[in-house]
Amino acid sequence: MGFGKATSSSKAMKIIETEKKISVLIVEDDPLIQKIHKVMMTKFGTEVQVVANGKEAVDLYHSGASFDLILMDFEMPIMDGFEATKELRSMGVTSMIVGVTSRSQDSEIQAFMKSGLNACYVKPLNAEKVTTVLNELKNN
Amino acid sequence: MDGVVQLQRQLLDYTALLFQEGFLNDQFTQLQQLQDETNPDFVVEVVSLFFEDSERLLNELANTLDQQSIDFRKVDSHVHQLKGSSSSIGAQRVQNVCIAFRNFCDAQNTEGCLKCLQQVKNEYSLVKNKLETLFKLEQQILAAGGSIPM
Repeated sequence: MGFGKATSSSKAMKIIETEKKISVLIVEDDPLIQKIHKVMMTKFGTEVQVVANGKEAVDLYHSGASFDLILMDFEMPIMDGFEATKELRSMGVTSMIVGVTSRSQDSEIQAFMKSGLNACYVKPLNAEKVTTVLNELKNN
Repeated sequence: MDGVVQLQRQLLDYTALLFQEGFLNDQFTQLQQLQDETNPDFVVEVVSLFFEDSERLLNELANTLDQQSIDFRKVDSHVHQLKGSSSSIGAQRVQNVCIAFRNFCDAQNTEGCLKCLQQVKNEYSLVKNKLETLFKLEQQILAAGGSIPM
């Protein structure tokens, strides 16, 4: 009596990983910047959602949503980027949060970083900055 | 076809001049590169938003600086917004005036602010005019059956 060669399904089976799109949440109140950043991030192959202030971002996470990357503006009504980032981190959110601000002074950027950002860039975003952010996200 | 080639040449030369004269910077090129079949009117749409934003902000600035007692924080906030949107579309000269304008706000210098308001109005008017000319040239090329050179 012969038996077929036993194969370990886990060894023999090839695990095919489908490339999932990076999900990005743009938190920005200015419609002009919203439009530019949304098209830019979409062009880089990411899945984009846009909200207009920090509270909307926090509410999304409270409702169970999650994103690979959050692009967080600093100055926004209702809840600014600093408060929103602090709140998200205190909720245990580990998504990459990148500040995007018009403030260019070192001291202002450092202050924003203290809220729990992974990085901070001065507006406007361009292809080079987006590439750096996405590479850092992929490497982590 | 000669006509289209001439128009295309005209557009490229005109665009190059706008960069040379400092009206536009690389950010404008970034916007042009984002335009494609899925967003065929992206640049016009973004620039139109910039025009709307700017006109609103310039009116608000004029009103705020016309008050008996000037609220410099309010002036600064408007200029900050104008600086942000001008830098987002690459309107370099408008952006530069906004930087100087904010310094006068910090110093609460009314005369300096009023001078900057006039300057920023001039620069805005110039870049608006030039962008409208650029878009007209693009429309002429498309109407003649050509494509926009990059």
